[in-house]
Amino acid sequence: MDPKLVEVTQLFSRFKAAFARNDFDTSVSLLSQLKVLLTKFPSLPPSFQQTPNAVEELKIARDIYEHAVVLSVKIEDQDAFERDFCQLKPYYMDTCGIIPQSPEEYPILGLNLLRLLVQNRIAEFHTELELLPVNALENACIKHAVELEQSFMEGAYNRVLSARQAVPHETYVYFMDLLAKTVRDELAGCSEKGYDYMSITEAKQMLMFSSDQELHEYITEEHPEWEIKDGCVFFQKAKETQPCKEIPSLQVINQTLSYARELERIV
Amino acid sequence: MAAAAVMVSSASGLLAMLQEPAAELKLHALANLNSLVHVFWPEISTSVPAIESLYEDEEFDQRQLAALVVSKVFYYLGELNDSLSYALGAGPLFDVSDDSDYAHTLLAKALDEYASIRSRSLKATGEEEMMDPRLEAIVERMLDKCILDGKYQQAMGMSVECMRLDKLEQAISRCDNLNGALSYCINLSHQYVSHREYRCEILRCLVKIYQTLPNPDFLSICQCLMFLGEPETVGNILGKLLSGSKDDALLAFQIAFDLVENENQAFLLSVRNRLDTLSVQASAQALPSDQTDNAATESSGDAQMADNVVTTNGSVHTVDSNEVAHADRLTKIKGILSGETSIQLTLQFLYSHNRSDLLILKTIKQALEMRNSVCHSATICSNAIMHAGTTVDTFLRENLEWLSRATNWAKFSATSGLGVIHRGHLTQGRALMAPYLPQSGAASGGSPYSEGGALYALGLIHANHGEGIKQFLRESLHNTSSEVVQHGACLGLGLAALGTADEEIFEDIKNILYTDSAVAGEAAGIGMGLLMVGTASEKAGEMLAYAHDTQHEKIIRGLSLGIALTVYGREEEADTLIEQMTRDQDPILRYGGMYTLALAYRGTANNKAIHQLLHFAVSDVSDDVRRTAVLALGFVLYNEPEQTPRIVSLLSESYNPHVRYGAALAVGISCAGTGLSDAISLLEPLTSDVVDFVRQGALIAMAMVMIQTNESYDSRVGTFRHRLEKIILDKHEDTMSKMGAILASGILDAGGRNVTIRLKSRSKHDKLTAVVGLAVFTQFWYWYPLTYFISLAFSPTAFIGLNSDLKVPKFEFLSNTKPSLFDYPKPTAQQTTTASVKLPTAILSTYAKAKSRAKKDAESKAQEKAEAPQSEDASTASTSMQVDGGAEKKAPEPEPTFQILTNPARVVPAQEKFIKFLEGGRYEPVKLAPSGFVLLRDLKPTETEELVLTDAPATQAATAAAGQQGSGASAMAVDEEPQPPQPFEYTT
Repeated sequence: MDPKLVEVTQLFSRFKAAFARNDFDTSVSLLSQLKVLLTKFPSLPPSFQQTPNAVEELKIARDIYEHAVVLSVKIEDQDAFERDFCQLKPYYMDTCGIIPQSPEEYPILGLNLLRLLVQNRIAEFHTELELLPVNALENACIKHAVELEQSFMEGAYNRVLSARQAVPHETYVYFMDLLAKTVRDELAGCSEKGYDYMSITEAKQMLMFSSDQELHEYITEEHPEWEIKDGCVFFQKAKETQPCKEIPSLQVINQTLSYARELERIV
Repeated sequence: MAAAAVMVSSASGLLAMLQEPAAELKLHALANLNSLVHVFWPEISTSVPAIESLYEDEEFDQRQLAALVVSKVFYYLGELNDSLSYALGAGPLFDVSDDSDYAHTLLAKALDEYASIRSRSLKATGEEEMMDPRLEAIVERMLDKCILDGKYQQAMGMSVECMRLDKLEQAISRCDNLNGALSYCINLSHQYVSHREYRCEILRCLVKIYQTLPNPDFLSICQCLMFLGEPETVGNILGKLLSGSKDDALLAFQIAFDLVENENQAFLLSVRNRLDTLSVQASAQALPSDQTDNAATESSGDAQMADNVVTTNGSVHTVDSNEVAHADRLTKIKGILSGETSIQLTLQFLYSHNRSDLLILKTIKQALEMRNSVCHSATICSNAIMHAGTTVDTFLRENLEWLSRATNWAKFSATSGLGVIHRGHLTQGRALMAPYLPQSGAASGGSPYSEGGALYALGLIHANHGEGIKQFLRESLHNTSSEVVQHGACLGLGLAALGTADEEIFEDIKNILYTDSAVAGEAAGIGMGLLMVGTASEKAGEMLAYAHDTQHEKIIRGLSLGIALTVYGREEEADTLIEQMTRDQDPILRYGGMYTLALAYRGTANNKAIHQLLHFAVSDVSDDVRRTAVLALGFVLYNEPEQTPRIVSLLSESYNPHVRYGAALAVGISCAGTGLSDAISLLEPLTSDVVDFVRQGALIAMAMVMIQTNESYDSRVGTFRHRLEKIILDKHEDTMSKMGAILASGILDAGGRNVTIRLKSRSKHDKLTAVVGLAVFTQFWYWYPLTYFISLAFSPTAFIGLNSDLKVPKFEFLSNTKPSLFDYPKPTAQQTTTASVKLPTAILSTYAKAKSRAKKDAESKAQEKAEAPQSEDASTASTSMQVDGGAEKKAPEPEPTFQILTNPARVVPAQEKFIKFLEGGRYEPVKLAPSGFVLLRDLKPTETEELVLTDAPATQAATAAAGQQGSGASAMAVDEEPQPPQPFEYTT
């Protein structure tokens, strides 16, 4: 067996042990060592050279990145999640036919969809969805994300919030929590458009805050342009600040006149 | 296993890897991105800032790789500037020899950038612009590679453009075909180098290389030296060649002919002087050679003269045959350099091949109303142009009474027209004009108009070769107080002493100017300009000052044109003067400014000049200035005639008729003699413009473009000829356009159909006389007599082969195309005149019917009468054709695909590419030129030579051709040289 492959396998087992122990610091450092070692394998994307060990290498590389994705969820690092997922994706998209499908594929794809939903990147969400084969939509993990998105779009926010109870995979919990915040932002945006003002109690209920204090904090942090007085929240200021576009009439007149003059000269 | 063609579907994984904290991963990602960038550049482009920051990160050890990736992405995005700057950052990673689109594009970009920086720093010498050393390194790598790969032409082109003469020298010296490389470079420097000083530098460099060669190409060297204005070196070379073998002497003669073709009188004079001093130094026998020189100037060398000199020389110096031969050669080369040999040969050619169609003139004459003096003098002018240089004045002789209708200035023009007809008749010129010239001492019986015209005519005859006539013209100028005579004398002097910058003559003309007479002053202004052509002398300031002082518009106009002439061809040197004139308050001076721009940048297609002219063409308040600005474009662009129609096409649709007129003439000037299809298409609608003077300009311009093209080459020529005839015959046509049509028919058949308008010589130099001639010609808008200046622009389209005695031997060569394509147009039949007579008659009543019957009878009689001369004409035409056929030894039943031409032959410019020299003949040309004067090397010198002009059948053919011209012609053709026609006089 190839010594490099052996080295990676050993390192990977150490990583898995640390991962199981929930020793995240060790896992992260081991992971970055693993990634560097992986660059030595010519059979991995994007070169896909046909080496005798190609299948094993691809398998282990995919395994490593799958673990990396899960690890990033566990340490609640969204950037790392995106990075690792992007590097994992070629193994899913381009290697079918070389190595068998991974059992973790759909949960991780679903996780990614959820992440996009949380970050409110709806366009990318749909792009990813279109890239999936039709039968994948039957999978529970994917279905979960798709249903969430539909509820989200319809405005059935309560369904979104209640879906936390029915997660298909334990890693999903982290994103479901974040989703609540996204829902709140949506609600706040809608209220701003829909109402001139709103009483504090109503606002508290609407934005799902348990105390006035939390509401105040939220407003000062996210929407400093809102105003609180007489027990009501006023959204007026935000609307007024919209800039009124002025027609640059003088400039337009000047330009038209000069065109006319030029025209006379040339023709 | 999967197929080998597995590919990643997206670069997002690699891009994500770039964000990894570990440097190895970043590196891995970059390396992979670099190889995949051609596929995934749209994805990568969103992450370019990330890669850029990697490049800017000082600690990252593969910054250059990052730069290369960014450069490639920018290249695909079409941002070449950014791409180049990052490619420079990539340093050695940017591979010059890479055969990809990316590398090619960026290299081209780098070269452009480098060249533009170099040329900028050349202009602003004060502050040296910062040159990126990395850019320089890339360009040098590129040049070195080209030289190593043997792509010498590329290397030369690039080094010329980048102003790297060191590299140019290197490229040329490595090249295996040195002479080819050098001539390629010369071409390059003329076509693509717009900066005059730099061009001189290149040429100097080339001459340096030439001189180191063991077997240099003297023809090219001398062309370079001529451009550089170094007559001494040319003189030395000629001197050396003359004392060499017979072949060397032939080469020297060829060089001399080529130099003469460029028409730089001052330069040729200095070469001649240099030869004189050389011969003085060379031998103690300087005295006799001086004597022969005197003889040459006195009798103004014709062929017989040369013979005499040979015999006298032979009798005097029997001691050393070598010396004799050398002295003989020296005389001959001086004859050539003085232009006399070529002028005389041209004269013989034009006379013997004259094919002008007198019927056209007759039609014009009959169609015109007698009292219309504008059309009358236009007809005289048209006749002069048609017979320019042929010495055939039959038409004038036959219509003496009609001619006498010209009075006053018309008489002036009519007399000067003789000068055009006898152009180049140096030996007999003065004798010819004698009856009209002012008689010194005796009470002047003649009118001042014919006297002035005669002086002007003398100038036209001796244009640019006025050594012999200058003194006489000066005397005439002194002896008169009539402003009309002064007018003629000033023009004549200017023409005769063109470009010699003679101080005394200048003073004489200046005195005339200071008399402040409008008529004489105008001519004085132009005369001064002609005298100082291309000298950029300080006199221009003096002239400008006087133009500000005087009240007469005519004088200002003359002076401003004169000032323009002084800076002819000086390009950037003229910029201050141009600035001064174009900013002037007086529209006439601004108008002169346009001419200054035109002449200073003649034939350079300089972008700045074009830009300036276009600006004035649309923004000046004076119509005159606008018109001239557009017209001047023609002069600036004549080296690229294909460009002109495109550039002025918008202007030709202008609402302003003056601009349209200018556009027409601009096309006429720059595309003159090309028969360019685009030009004809542009002019065609203008010939039926609503404004009469636009029609005039368009007709003249069209004639200039179509000169020497016949119907089988472009069918529109035939249509145009018909149109001209229709305009002339139409009673309701405006005088202006009628005049245009008359002049146009003259230009179309100019010089007996054997000349074209050519502003560049065959060696791609500008022909000074021609350009100046056309520039003054365009002044006919204000002053009709100046129309005759167009004759300066005519150059014969002939192949004239000469042996070592400068005689025309029998020599045949091939024109590898259908003869009809470049044949003379068919002579017009008289049919058209009868057709115009036969007008439909309206029948009103029985009475009218009877009357009309009577009329019809008369008509049919007239028709019969008309048919008689027609058949006669046809018979003469057919006989002449038979004679021609005999000479060609080819039966023209099915049109042959080639034609044998006999020396001297008419070879029109478009035909030149079909000319082939036959191998195995007796003679071999020294230079493989398809037209012009070509020296022939005699391969069988022991056999007796057959000379064409004494050859019996050839003389007969010439007689038949000339036979149409009427009485006297056949008698003249027997002689080797045409005798001067008898002087005739017409009186009012």
